[in-house]
Amino acid sequence: MSEVAFPIKDLTRRKLQTSLVIVGLTISTAATVFLTIFGENLGFEIAFVTGGKLTAGFSSIFSRFIIVVDLLNIVAGAVIVSFLVSIMMSERVRDIGVMKATGCLRSTVLSYFLTELSIIVLTSCIIGTICGILANFACIHLLNALGFSIAQKPLNLWMILLIFITFVIISHVFGVRPIVKAIRVKPAEALSPLYSFGTIPELSRYSPSKLGFTFKMAYRSLLRRRLPTQQAIICLAAVLALVSVTIVGGIIANQTTQNYVRRAIGENVVLISYPDVSEQYVNFLSQFFEAKEIGSLNYLNPNYAISETLVSRLSIIPGVQKADPRLILVTMIYEVPGVIIDPERPDDPYTSVGDHRSSSALVLGINPESTISEWLILGRTLNETDLYSALIGDSLAMKSFDSPEVQGFRMLKQNFDIAGVCLDPLDNGDVVYVPFKALSKLVNQTVCNVLLLEIDPSNRSEVLSEIKEVCGTNLKVLELDGILGKHLSFLNLLWSSVMLLPLFSLVNATICLISYMILNITGQQREFGIMRAIGAKPNAVIKMIFTQALIVTLVSGAIGILAGFFVTFVFLIPDPVISYFTIILIVGWLLIALSCLSLSSLYPAVKTVKKSVASTLSQ
Amino acid sequence: MKERVISASFLCKNYHIGDLIIEALKNLDLEVLEGEFVLIYGSSGAGKTTLLNLISGLDKPTSGKIIVFGHDLAAYDENFLATFRSANVGFVFQSYNLISTLTALENVAFPIELAGWPEERVRKRSEKLLKLVGLPHRANHFPTQLSGGEQQRIAFARALANDPSLILVDEPTGNLDLETGLEIVRILEELKTKGKTIVVVTHDERIMQLADRTLHLRDGGIVATDE
Repeated sequence: MSEVAFPIKDLTRRKLQTSLVIVGLTISTAATVFLTIFGENLGFEIAFVTGGKLTAGFSSIFSRFIIVVDLLNIVAGAVIVSFLVSIMMSERVRDIGVMKATGCLRSTVLSYFLTELSIIVLTSCIIGTICGILANFACIHLLNALGFSIAQKPLNLWMILLIFITFVIISHVFGVRPIVKAIRVKPAEALSPLYSFGTIPELSRYSPSKLGFTFKMAYRSLLRRRLPTQQAIICLAAVLALVSVTIVGGIIANQTTQNYVRRAIGENVVLISYPDVSEQYVNFLSQFFEAKEIGSLNYLNPNYAISETLVSRLSIIPGVQKADPRLILVTMIYEVPGVIIDPERPDDPYTSVGDHRSSSALVLGINPESTISEWLILGRTLNETDLYSALIGDSLAMKSFDSPEVQGFRMLKQNFDIAGVCLDPLDNGDVVYVPFKALSKLVNQTVCNVLLLEIDPSNRSEVLSEIKEVCGTNLKVLELDGILGKHLSFLNLLWSSVMLLPLFSLVNATICLISYMILNITGQQREFGIMRAIGAKPNAVIKMIFTQALIVTLVSGAIGILAGFFVTFVFLIPDPVISYFTIILIVGWLLIALSCLSLSSLYPAVKTVKKSVASTLSQ
Repeated sequence: MKERVISASFLCKNYHIGDLIIEALKNLDLEVLEGEFVLIYGSSGAGKTTLLNLISGLDKPTSGKIIVFGHDLAAYDENFLATFRSANVGFVFQSYNLISTLTALENVAFPIELAGWPEERVRKRSEKLLKLVGLPHRANHFPTQLSGGEQQRIAFARALANDPSLILVDEPTGNLDLETGLEIVRILEELKTKGKTIVVVTHDERIMQLADRTLHLRDGGIVATDE
């Protein structure tokens, strides 16, 4: 028989198995292509939506999240594909034994089955890639119809080609392994049923008989089919790591970024300043979620100064917990290059970093010991003894400095060291915080033009009315909680789009488990038939299959979720914020994911017991 | 007066392969009494295994009635039939049909565990049955590590696990050598002495000598009966 005729006949006559593998491979390829281009689209959308908004630090959290999810997605897809191909080819081992026993040459056997493998892999990868692209278009249309606003980015054909080639190569590498293995063994060994599906002729040391009959049967079956069980666990663990990163990472990143904003702006904060300054300050604060032009203002105008007496009177009002006087102005800052010492170049260890860039920035003089802001800082915070040291915002650090930790800047004819970089929504991160006394000396103004008061929320209205009374009619008293709310809503909106990814990852994981269960059940169908023939009720068989799926899901869940947590905390989110509510939310999501996965095994289980016992036994 | 264990009337079973309809059984009538040893023989494709499948409730007839221990099997659902088989029928399949991931002992124990016996009794009963078929030393071996004859004897032990009144045996010696075949004949003889109702599909002359009645099946119907 020719090298093409045999594989085609073999594939078409194993209709069920061939279609299962093609469907499984197609879905995995489609899901990977879809998630990758959809993720890219989402990242593009976030960049588009946030253009001119969101600080550089926050943007990098979003993009890092999407990149890690995309990478994990490709890894998980490759693992699923290799797993399915490996199972498919493992089931050919017996046939290879038969062919060798009847005198077929090794090279002929190899070419028969390689052709078969290539037909399946290429068919599935081509259909899968097309389906993935179509699913992306369909999904974006659907989401737009549902009220999300996601633009269709031009397709990244190189990325799609890369996934396609990766999957084709990986499938061949993993598919060839069992063929080569079978060709190397003696025909008699290859014909042994022990060889075909990885059943091991060993007794388990531990038999969990006290956990009930169903569990015992499921446990034995899984343990004695070690090879496919191990493969399934690895495969599902990879997918569940992806689900965990997207769920855990998504939830924690959402809460953490919200917390960064909350800490930087402060809660229960009242802004006191003259109306012009107040309007400017609010505009600077709103840049995070609403990019707009801000006009110029002479902040050092004596009319905007808030007297020290007033600050003192306001500070002692019962219910005022903290007073944070700030002197704000907008000025140019000039980058000062720094020096890096490279010990690997002993001849010339000093390298200059930085350019001579300049930029306009919002500068705030603060008293480090009494400020209400608790930023996330890379580096160190300011302290009472600092004079010409500064904290700079993340966007400013990104655009005007190469290595802010070793550089400084010049402002108002004075050099400043950079103590740290802070994540701050004010003026979208184009901000500089310096000690009040330093700025005051440079501009020759001893009083503040903005005062932030942190008040006791339990006594809000009384404290507010007293503040207003002390401030009189000229000063504007404005609560900042409303603006903080807008910041948080904006972040929520972005994360709710990103959180679409775990939803699709979960669907991918479910499909993966169903593919595994269908292949697994197909391999065990005859045994389930025997069980039913000797008295096992359909429900007992369903329970056994479900228990097998549950064990595989829980074991791979434990591995995958731990890996997901590791990736999330090590690579994704610095200084994560985990509250009681976060834990409940994560546990809830993960439980839903694991339940969906386990329950999905019921479909092939029910399908199996619907067949008559006689027809199952005759297969 | 002995009770009727099996009663089949106008029994038909058709199989569909594409557009082709294969009539495996055609209007077959059969009665088997309690404690009777009935042997069925016939050429390949005569409908012997189909008849055993219908008697055990593994399959349902296309038309006609099959009543076993007073139950019209066509009228019941899978759950009832599973319980019915577990309690009343022991089936020894032609291809042994042992569960490959269970050891010999576990295979024998399986129907007893299904019946809900306590663990200790399950173990004792399984060991006793393995002794009965002469294989106590093979308890911890998997089916693939056993010879055909040994697998057949394990299948017998499993069929007797819940002490069923009706034992159905499909070609028990077809794949075995002379000596192992004799061992199977010995087991069947012992079962007959115990008063079990036995229906065996075979061409083996040695088993034929044990039978109270032999039925010749051809083209889905009984063409001759010898008492």
